[in-house]
Amino acid sequence: MPRLSEVQESFRIAVTSLRVNLMRSILTTAGVVVGVVLVVLMGWTIGGLDAVWEKTISIIGKDMIYIDKWNWAGGGNWRMMEARKDITLEQAEALSMRMESAEETIPITRKWGGSVSVGNTSLRCSIMGTTTAYGSTSAGTTEEGRFFNEVEEREAEKVVVVGYNIKKNLFPDESPIGKYLKIAGVPYRIVGVVEKRGFLFMDFIDNQVFIPLYAFRSSFGFFDRSFSVGLKAGSERMLDIVRDEAVGHMRSIRNVPPADPDDFSINEMKAFDQQAKNIRLGIWVVGMGLTILAFIVGSIGIMNIMYVSVTERTKEIGIRKAIGARRSSILSQFLIESAMLCVAGALIAFPIAQVIVGSAQYLAVHVFEQDWASVVSPLVPFDLLGIAVGVSILVGLLAGLFPAIKASGLDPVEALRSE
Amino acid sequence: MNTNIIEIADLVKRYEMGHEEVFALRNVSLTLGKNEYVAIMGPSGSGKSTLMNMLGCLDTPTSGTYFFNGANVSEMDDDDLAAIRNKEIGFVFQTFNLLPRATALQNVELPLVYAGLKSEERRKRAIEAITRVGLADRMDHRPNELSGGQRQRVAIARALVTAPSIILADEPTGNLDSKTGQDIMRLFGDLWRGGNTVILVTHEEDVARHAHRIIRLRDGLIESDEINPNATSV
Repeated sequence: MPRLSEVQESFRIAVTSLRVNLMRSILTTAGVVVGVVLVVLMGWTIGGLDAVWEKTISIIGKDMIYIDKWNWAGGGNWRMMEARKDITLEQAEALSMRMESAEETIPITRKWGGSVSVGNTSLRCSIMGTTTAYGSTSAGTTEEGRFFNEVEEREAEKVVVVGYNIKKNLFPDESPIGKYLKIAGVPYRIVGVVEKRGFLFMDFIDNQVFIPLYAFRSSFGFFDRSFSVGLKAGSERMLDIVRDEAVGHMRSIRNVPPADPDDFSINEMKAFDQQAKNIRLGIWVVGMGLTILAFIVGSIGIMNIMYVSVTERTKEIGIRKAIGARRSSILSQFLIESAMLCVAGALIAFPIAQVIVGSAQYLAVHVFEQDWASVVSPLVPFDLLGIAVGVSILVGLLAGLFPAIKASGLDPVEALRSE
Repeated sequence: MNTNIIEIADLVKRYEMGHEEVFALRNVSLTLGKNEYVAIMGPSGSGKSTLMNMLGCLDTPTSGTYFFNGANVSEMDDDDLAAIRNKEIGFVFQTFNLLPRATALQNVELPLVYAGLKSEERRKRAIEAITRVGLADRMDHRPNELSGGQRQRVAIARALVTAPSIILADEPTGNLDSKTGQDIMRLFGDLWRGGNTVILVTHEEDVARHAHRIIRLRDGLIESDEINPNATSV
């Protein structure tokens, strides 16, 4: 083991050497710089996605379970689901009567690809018929006005609660409350606007309008329409209980024989976690691939320059050995120098990564007006600095190993003779 | 009580050059006592450089024995040799061999770095050594800011700083003008008078005549080993 005094000396030599060969050192670290920038960008991207995802799913409601003919996450067999019998309003209402553990049981029906219009402007959106209870879920929380009430629901009044994008596009500069928009040619009075919900790839959520169930029936009818049932568990802790209870009731309501699989799907936000994981994994694999490539190229560069350095300093090595440097002294000297080159690379890379990350976030929010980007940090996370420096030290040690072994094994007589 | 620092017996150094064998040292036996002042002489190819490398523990013999202060150098590994060089031997080279990027003081401190001394202790001893060679006012200069004679003084201070058993000087005046060379030889005389053991390796009679004992090599053998009655450094 090298002595403390030798390690201090090695750091002094390394700093001097970096300074004397400044330009060469900077160029040598280019590969490491790229590698570290990639690591940081990858970490930041994954972190940002997580933040966006977390925001999206918490907004839609982690405590919600939706019983539907279809599996939202796209899992399962499409034809098999197609062949399922529709969930009727009677079944939804029967479930509602029986459920005990859920805070709310909310029948929902949808018209996909509908449209709403104000004057001559019309906007494609999906139309949801539901009950007033939907307003108590986080997906139905209003930022302006209110959700329709029980009287309006019972009387099938022509009232509507609009999604954030509908308001933004049809009433950009004014409050829409009390105004009318037409659904299937019939004027509906706007009573509320739902908070912005969609982030990133969940943007469609803001292109919805909500009307009372029976108003929906008078405009679109219930024939050939499958209902879904939203179950508000109230907390994530209750999800398992609510799910088990709902499955039991639904199987009995729909007369599913005991040995048969469910003829309906249970949808939860959790179902989308797998997709998020896949995206994460994809970024990670691509990012790691590029990073490893950059580090390999970088370490070859470092190894090369360290060999050059050993050759240039053969005489110095000879002198040091003559006055008592042991193998380990010389070995640690070159390893420390090589590791320091890499750390210098990491320190160069960090501001670069910060500039990239900061501008990307700024552009997304302020120039491209992507609201979702506002939940992404414009700063490089600090723990990545530690990881990047750690990885650089490792790369430096590996890249410097063979040159350092060569240096430490030099014959002092030969080394002293060289010029 | 044995006061011999160096005891060499039947030392042979053989090199393989292609498939030819070259004997740099054929059979050399030699003892050196404490506070001797010896010159090793010989024309190039005589084996004097090889002998110096052996004496300096930079190289190990093919056969024969080498005892340094009673320790068997011929059986030591690299790290043991490095430790002996560090503690027991002070080298002075013809081309000074200072580190160009380090100050005079840092150069003198270097052996103490490898000895594992703490920074304050190193500094203290290095300043003592550099003062002894008369360069106290130049210790923050780098080698390229010093004259040849001054550089060799720094090198001598570096050799002295560990208080070694021997000072081994290889053509110490070879790169200096004669006036400066004489100054350096006077310094070696002072060191010897101060109790140091000095070994000069040289091909110059002018340099060798400072020593009290002159060993001449030829073709890898000791040709003569005589007391120099006219030593100028008495």
